[in-house]
Amino acid sequence: MGYRAENLLRLLKAAAPTLLGLMGVIVLALPIRLFEGFAPTPLIPLVVVFFWSVYGPDYLPPASVFVIGLLQDLLTGGPLGLWAVVYLVTQFVVLSQRSYFLGREQKVVWIGFAVVAVGASMILWLVMSLMSGALLPFFALAAQMAATVLIYPLFGMAFRQLHRRVLVEA
Amino acid sequence: MEFLGQDRREGLGRKAHSRFVLMLLALVSVLLLLSSLYSAEASVFKKAREGVLDAASPVLALLAGPIAYINETVGYVSDYFNTLKQNEALRQENAELRQWMNEALELREIVAVYEGLQTYEAPPEAQPVDAYVIGEANDAFARSMIVNAGRKRNIESGQAVVDDKGLIGRIVDTGSRASRVLLLSDIQSRVPVYVEGAAVEGILVGRTRDRPAISFTETSEPVEIIPGQRVLTSGAGGVLPRGIPVGVVDGEYRSEIVVDLYADYARTRLVRVINYEFPSIDGAPAETNEGAEAADDAGAAEPAPAEG
Repeated sequence: MGYRAENLLRLLKAAAPTLLGLMGVIVLALPIRLFEGFAPTPLIPLVVVFFWSVYGPDYLPPASVFVIGLLQDLLTGGPLGLWAVVYLVTQFVVLSQRSYFLGREQKVVWIGFAVVAVGASMILWLVMSLMSGALLPFFALAAQMAATVLIYPLFGMAFRQLHRRVLVEA
Repeated sequence: MEFLGQDRREGLGRKAHSRFVLMLLALVSVLLLLSSLYSAEASVFKKAREGVLDAASPVLALLAGPIAYINETVGYVSDYFNTLKQNEALRQENAELRQWMNEALELREIVAVYEGLQTYEAPPEAQPVDAYVIGEANDAFARSMIVNAGRKRNIESGQAVVDDKGLIGRIVDTGSRASRVLLLSDIQSRVPVYVEGAAVEGILVGRTRDRPAISFTETSEPVEIIPGQRVLTSGAGGVLPRGIPVGVVDGEYRSEIVVDLYADYARTRLVRVINYEFPSIDGAPAETNEGAEAADDAGAAEPAPAEG
């Protein structure tokens, strides 16, 4: 492998979490309507932000988180900066609790993610309710967050394999 | 590229600065949020939205096909369980539609006679543009869809979007190849409507629930609304043409008239953007009020899809 190809591979590895987050945003903009729209689409970027804030903050700098959130705002047509705030606050909180999460059982980390998801939904609901001047129904958001928490073990496992086997090793 | 991996920094970030940068970016986001509260239509934000729409549209268009296939395949599973019930409902609906067809054919003959009169002046025709839904905001609060038609096909902000059942929403952002449709259930959606037979106009207000509610502009008299009455666009404000079917009145809950939309957002795939120009009076460009009145006059003959 040439010098240039090797560098490109390294860059790709360094940017992999960011790219995954951006892909998660694209998924959120796709017309996925499983079971006639009853199944909400999980927030994969939230999983990405949480996971790499715990296991590899160097791989997901705040600038990447900001870009992911901003792209989600632009693509879903919501108020600009909302998801950026939510993801950055998530990263801040997780980074401050990082020493607690490291080395814990996956069950514990999962519960931690659930707590973070609840916090994120509170911010979202509060900001959107303030902006629209009415208390918005909570159900749709709760369903989406529940779906996100439910898929966390699956994505967490996949990300762990990716992080250990591909990004850090070799 | 030397810095990558050579001094134990494998990732994109630099740890020493990250906390400060994080705070800074969070602050920037909050400022963005506050400024978008006051200037949601600022040209910079609009440009950014439209740019992202254009950039994402090829990816979305590519993935929309397979996604639709998966949606349908999964959807079939539930269809298998209620085929009998659906058949029965369809047979009943078919019988009703046959009666309507006969009535429509008779009416067509009568209208043709009137159109033959010399005093008749044809209302301006809408220029429909067909488009596919390639994206959808899977967000709890933002309800919108992305369609694969933009400025290149004369799509402009404010135009009505319908499907075979009725009104879907209206265009809010237009890129050159894709545009965003704000659905009727979005919290920002406001569409002037009237209730057929009740002779009252109101505004359909989205509430992020599946069914929006009508808020009446004039509440001087108590309005007699019966569930099952049709709700159509009124054309007030001179943006959407008059007479597009929106839904039926479902009932009154907590002093709100809730509307059951004709549109089924879980199945919306092929839509039609209605490029409708209001007739101007005496050659002068239509003002908002005049446009609305003119629309009222022209509304009777406005060709509405799925009328009846």
